[in-house]
Amino acid sequence: MPLIEVKGLCKSFGERVVLEDVNLEVSDGERIAIIGESGCGKSVFLRCLELLTVPDRGQILIDGQEITAKGADVDRIRRSMGMVYQKFHLFSHMNVMDNLCLAPVRLLGMTREAAEEKAMDLLSQVGLSTRANDFPEVLSGGQQQRIAICRSLMMDPKVLLFDEPTSALDPTMVGEVLAVIRMLSKRHLAMLIVTHEMSFARELADRVLFFAEHGIYEQGPPAEVFEHPKRAKTVAFIQKIKYFSFEITSRKFDLMKMQGGLLVFGEKYGMRHKRIGRLQLCCEELVYEMMAQCYAPEEPVSMQLAVSYAEADGRCEIELTCSGKEYNPFAQEEDELGVTILKKMAARLEYTYDGRSRISILL
Amino acid sequence: MSFQEQLYKVLIEGDSYRTILSGLLVTLQITAVSLLFGTLLGAGVCFLCTRKNKAVSVIAGVYIAVLRGTPVLMLLLLLYYGVFARAGFAPVVVAIMTFSLNLSAHVAELLRASAQAIDTGQVEAARTLGLGRRDAFRLVALPQILRIAKPVYQSLIVNLIQWTSVVGYISITDLTRVINNTAARTMQPFLTITVGMLLYLGLSYLVYGIFALIDRRKGVRHAAD
Repeated sequence: MPLIEVKGLCKSFGERVVLEDVNLEVSDGERIAIIGESGCGKSVFLRCLELLTVPDRGQILIDGQEITAKGADVDRIRRSMGMVYQKFHLFSHMNVMDNLCLAPVRLLGMTREAAEEKAMDLLSQVGLSTRANDFPEVLSGGQQQRIAICRSLMMDPKVLLFDEPTSALDPTMVGEVLAVIRMLSKRHLAMLIVTHEMSFARELADRVLFFAEHGIYEQGPPAEVFEHPKRAKTVAFIQKIKYFSFEITSRKFDLMKMQGGLLVFGEKYGMRHKRIGRLQLCCEELVYEMMAQCYAPEEPVSMQLAVSYAEADGRCEIELTCSGKEYNPFAQEEDELGVTILKKMAARLEYTYDGRSRISILL
Repeated sequence: MSFQEQLYKVLIEGDSYRTILSGLLVTLQITAVSLLFGTLLGAGVCFLCTRKNKAVSVIAGVYIAVLRGTPVLMLLLLLYYGVFARAGFAPVVVAIMTFSLNLSAHVAELLRASAQAIDTGQVEAARTLGLGRRDAFRLVALPQILRIAKPVYQSLIVNLIQWTSVVGYISITDLTRVINNTAARTMQPFLTITVGMLLYLGLSYLVYGIFALIDRRKGVRHAAD
């Protein structure tokens, strides 16, 4: 029996559909990383598992018990799940020890002494045994998060849900929290981690879920998802592909605006200036070459320039589609100067025609 | 007349101090009872105000808005000469009702604002640990709401003490009324009223003192943890 079973989960906020028909099974001890753009529903999904956000439709079973059922003992089912939040949410009116002991003493019938002993054991595992009497406000973000993890562990959960556990931390403190999560992976404990730390997700997870289009868009072992993503949006996300587009509707189009746009685009994503210059040159030559060859002097012009740049590996691709007559600039007997330049700079040139000319150049 | 003679006339002659003390007692009575009922009622109104039921929360909201937005003296006069004119309640009872109602609106608003100021994530964290709705509220939310509300609550009490000085309008002999009478009788208004003001000032600082004492005790407990 899977530890967590999600069937046909749907959630909308008003008109905005966040999750649509999400299905998932998590087995005992499995570690799952959830990645995706901001606002793709990863956090909402996690909150639905805890029923902090009530789904519109669908079933969620935790260890065989349906938390979404009418009259389910939600509080009891929640005991087997722990949740770690982006902003820690330690109880600010209690010291660290009280934070840790509150739930087990009240809910599990543990004696205060036993709870304190367990708490000290956990605190020393995360290197914070000297902080037991401190209040959360005097602790750093990294320390608070490590204690929040301990607080969840006090209930001996079967699964821990992490909602971007390092997103609110200073870069200097991310490491210490990730180290604690790594340490947990040695226990037999299922984990679902929503994260933007890609290398961490890759190293720790047994399975990676990529969220897009209201649900799990692609999933698989980390090596597969990160190295050979299959679907377009996953590729774009993993490669961190950025897009720039420009439309040309007249012979007297604003060249400087196009060049300026390319410059801003390139600078924004950290392309080197030399490369931006080449990108601009290629776009300019390509546009003028096609404009001269595909259109009669008074014919209306319609061209779309699209540039994509992958931040991850620096791939830069130019795509131009234009109406007008079929013309392959790379297959002429004698090259124009512009085409010579393009051929020299490009790693790959392609031309296809399907009613419109389509040229793709890999820079 | 020397200062001593004036003081004698104002405070001692004809057991004047007893009259003043009895006035002080009336003021304290009205304040204390109104504080008790007003706070309880205010907590109730705040509870209604945060209900999901639209009708209930709107009614509670109107209650708060009307009572906070009108002078308490008006309410006093309305209740005494209007609503309960024929009910035969003692003036003190009507005064207590008035100040309870008025204070309850302020307390409700204070609690509502304090409840909004707390980190709701902490309540969620308590719920995900498995604590029930009540436990999460009582153990996590409430202590923090009260901590946020405390300084304003303290000044609400001080305001309440001072606002009770209008009960003379419905013929209650409170501290202000007694001072006024004594000033007229002894024809020493400056000294008498100064004494009256010092008494009110003393009451206010008594309130601050009590809160400071509670704080210090808590501080000791924290340090002992």
